[in-house]
Amino acid sequence: MESLVSLNGSEPSVCNSPLSTASIWQDVLAQAVTGELMAATNYSALATICDNPEEVAEALEHAQGEHGHAAAFVAEGRKIGVDVPSNINAKYWKRIREAFMRSIAERDFIACLIIQEVMLESFAVASYSRVGKVAPGSLGETFAAIASEEEGHIEHALDILRSDRAKAPEPFDEKLYQLHLDIMTTLTEMVAKECRHGQCDLCHGSCVKPSLSEVGLTTAELRGASLQHYLRTLDMLGLPGEVTLQWVTQLPV
Amino acid sequence: MGHATASLAAGVQRTDLDFALIGHQESWRSVSDVLAVLRGAERTRLPDAEIMEIFPWIPPRTICNVEVASATGAKARGVYIDCFIPPDHLDSEYVHDNIGRVRAAAACAIKAGARIVSLGGFSSILIEGSFDQLPGASDTIFTTGNTLTVAFVVQGIRKMCAVEGREICKSTLLIIGASGDVGSGCARCLAPFVKRVILCARNARRLRTLAAGLEADGIEVEIATSLEQVQYAADIVICAASVASPSLQLSRIAPEAIVCDAGYPKNLSPRSDMPGARVFFGGLGQIAGGLSFIPDFKGVLNRHPFPDVAHGCLLEGMVLALARRFEPFSQGRGFITRDRVEEIETIADFHGIHLAPLYNAQGPLDAIGTSKTEGHCWLSSGSMAAPVDGVRRGPYRSR
Repeated sequence: MESLVSLNGSEPSVCNSPLSTASIWQDVLAQAVTGELMAATNYSALATICDNPEEVAEALEHAQGEHGHAAAFVAEGRKIGVDVPSNINAKYWKRIREAFMRSIAERDFIACLIIQEVMLESFAVASYSRVGKVAPGSLGETFAAIASEEEGHIEHALDILRSDRAKAPEPFDEKLYQLHLDIMTTLTEMVAKECRHGQCDLCHGSCVKPSLSEVGLTTAELRGASLQHYLRTLDMLGLPGEVTLQWVTQLPV
Repeated sequence: MGHATASLAAGVQRTDLDFALIGHQESWRSVSDVLAVLRGAERTRLPDAEIMEIFPWIPPRTICNVEVASATGAKARGVYIDCFIPPDHLDSEYVHDNIGRVRAAAACAIKAGARIVSLGGFSSILIEGSFDQLPGASDTIFTTGNTLTVAFVVQGIRKMCAVEGREICKSTLLIIGASGDVGSGCARCLAPFVKRVILCARNARRLRTLAAGLEADGIEVEIATSLEQVQYAADIVICAASVASPSLQLSRIAPEAIVCDAGYPKNLSPRSDMPGARVFFGGLGQIAGGLSFIPDFKGVLNRHPFPDVAHGCLLEGMVLALARRFEPFSQGRGFITRDRVEEIETIADFHGIHLAPLYNAQGPLDAIGTSKTEGHCWLSSGSMAAPVDGVRRGPYRSR
């Protein structure tokens, strides 16, 4: 099958779309495509540490699915006349990728699931849902459909995580907390009001955040919706709500 | 375990929860203070703009453990669950969202295994109106807490009248929000002792029903669906309306009227021009045995100038838990009677939960019975006792 998207970075391109907000969608899509590609590589790596053949197959299936999502986003970009760049080595995504690979190196299947299914998927599902509500035409439909698909496949992962927590809640919660400090700090910096530490390496021009309001989005709602989804996912795992609320309120702003 | 978790590990176990308190914050300042406690003293406070953006997204959840001690030495353990209703989202356009939040908070209480749940502020709507708003069947009992609120409002009025030397039997009583559960309960308790009662609320049908009941007992009653319709200048005013923010401007009240603001959020506008009025915040009780929170939200969740003070609606659940009476003491709207108020007062009194010292936006009303002896005298007489008039005239004023 022809590869529709590159893993290691395609060059940002000039926007030639007649759609006045196309350059904003280009940057939004760049984040989405990069996130999907990183998820695909994460699942591929996860397959290498699974003991159970069924889990291997499932991880590879997810990898393929995420790759398909990336391709769908690239195709939506083409429809509005923009080439969508991607770069899993972009600043924030690289930090997350490195944290995930540390867990792979430790063959820590549970930590990998927490990073991918609890943290990254919370941000993906919540932000895609918000984008799906405001993006025009098929672009919005694609975001909404992928949000729904992403949400659908986390249930099995949550079952595994709940089962692991039931065996030993304290070590599980401690592991989750340590991952939270690492991954969630990065994710909340990504959706902070402004990029205080320089460019994210994905926006094709200046930072897209100040322009999001032109398409009916704000970083505040993307961050709020994502953290809400994250808290609810942690609730479903059985973590005490007051503890997870403290964790979230202590994240950087 | 990370310190955020460790700090809670010392809290009470969820398996033996006596009660849960459901509430919401009254102002953005109190929201900011709550989040500051959650962030920890070592971190800077969140900027106000940031708080206003993020707060509405927080799902309802427990934020702390609560322990209340009876004067008898008994203790009851529970949790405080916040609905995270933004303080500026209390008007009608947000009602469905807010009911959803209260339902979610109720589900948290059920999941936590609370035996009885008190509903504070807006959240009492869940069982004041239709009971089917509650989450599915469970062993958890819900009470609005309104009966104890009424008890403390009435006690506060009596205390102010006594200290001010007012003859309650010669007074005209105005109740704003009279068709509500607290307002109608106050009417039933106080109307028999005043010269005339004016019931003010938007719902004329409910007002007529309430008035008919009082008139049957020979009480002179006037009803008004707006303050502009009120004929007589009231000497005693109880503000118990459901308002989205402190916006009520009183007019046509007696120059030195006693005004009890029993609302949550507060009813009276800070810009109210009532220079001679004796204003106090009503419906508050104080726990002699003490109230503690883990993490320490003392003075944050209960922002009062006195320790161990809380709203009657929340105290009712604690009182019933201390008494091991896990029953829906206050449910529905319009069922608060003098007998029921006396009953909850007696239980509260037994456990050392009394009318809190009175205060208003300017601070404590120092001259009013803050000493234990005087306070106890008043409280032991209860809100249903015969009016005590002309005791002495205190030097305090609404400042």
